Amino acid sequence: MQELVLSQPVSTVRSELVREAARADAQREFEERLAECGPLAYRVARSVLRNTADAEDVAQEALLRAYKGFERLRDRTHFRGWLVRISFRLALDKLRSGKRREQRDTLWSQPAHLPPPLTAEDVVASNQFQNHLERALDGLPEKFRLVLLLSAMEGYTVEEIAAMIGVPLGTVKSRIFLARKKLAEKLRCHANTIKRR
Amino acid sequence: MPCKHYKEALIEAAASGAAPSGELRLHFGECASCREAFAQEQFLFSAIDSDRHAAANAEVPASLVPRVRARLEETIAPRLGWMQPLVLASACVALAFAVFLMARPHHAAPEEVAKQGPVMVPAPTAPKTNANPEKISPSGSQIGALRVNHFQVASSNREVLVPPDEREGLAHLVATLNERRDFAVALRAQRPEKKDGLVTVDPLQISDIEIKPLEGTETETSDGAGETH
Ligand SMILES: [Zn+2]
Repeated sequence: MQELVLSQPVSTVRSELVREAARADAQREFEERLAECGPLAYRVARSVLRNTADAEDVAQEALLRAYKGFERLRDRTHFRGWLVRISFRLALDKLRSGKRREQRDTLWSQPAHLPPPLTAEDVVASNQFQNHLERALDGLPEKFRLVLLLSAMEGYTVEEIAAMIGVPLGTVKSRIFLARKKLAEKLRCHANTIKRR
Repeated sequence: MPCKHYKEALIEAAASGAAPSGELRLHFGECASCREAFAQEQFLFSAIDSDRHAAANAEVPASLVPRVRARLEETIAPRLGWMQPLVLASACVALAFAVFLMARPHHAAPEEVAKQGPVMVPAPTAPKTNANPEKISPSGSQIGALRVNHFQVASSNREVLVPPDEREGLAHLVATLNERRDFAVALRAQRPEKKDGLVTVDPLQISDIEIKPLEGTETETSDGAGETH
């Protein structure tokens, strides 16, 4: 009777300890991934929000959620894909919630091969173009926007992006092409704001 | 304005980043307007790509990973926090149980014990009840008595740890055993004989730590006052 009354909590402790050990393992593995996946989450968020502080908040939140779901997301490709999607989703939510910080980061849309703007007029013109570009990006279907920002990221091939988001390679390529064309259509009338020097 | 016929072709060429096809290239040779439009399209796509590239490869703040680690710690710490007292409590209860098993009287033979019947002592409800032992067993010809006051221990009766929520069931069992003595004897006789030296104790866990009183040992009440018997 003694054992009958008191033995049940023993198994509870044991299974709880086993679960704790598994959690510790998962935490170790997750920490190893942080170095690789932290920047990925951040850059996705930064591409959408264009603000360092907001992007960092979103990346943190995405990574914490990823940790909570890590047990079923241990496969690296699935994990990255999931993280990218959750970062993208959270960033879009933040962008549309109006809670976004007003201050946008410094101008960085100047084409790389162009010299930096020399006059105040040039800066204003470039800022105008950037505003138009942001609006055009916001008008893109989300699936186009996600592929477009991932394809701009260094270190990921189109094949990797296809695997990451679970979409055929051909679909990824056509989405990138169509997304760029849609952006160009919307920006063509504002192209005069970025005069070629 | 570019020629209407070549407009789409030159946009496609600029978007793809590929060199213009033979026909388009030939047309560029003879149409300055289309040549200019093509250059404008190339510039537009380059501006778009440059923007995307800059946004997608922004420098990652050095604080990101440490901040995530810190928040992970915050998430994990409370979870471990309740586990530690739990394990400690289990160890304490297991220890108390082991001491109880070793300290209980061994001289009674199983047959005698069966005749004597189980005397059950439940967990204390409160330390201050030691003045009035409360008899729960109903029968006058009791096999055993259920004593609530565990501090008043001065016999060789066997003791059982009984959680408060099981006392009623235990009282019922005692009553049944009192009515059916033969059943009680059979019940005891069926128990496989166990050498005391082989008794093993698993680590146990209960939510409250209660050190069970033992004969001739000192116990501590919940308010910390020591009491010697
Ligand atoms: Zn022409």
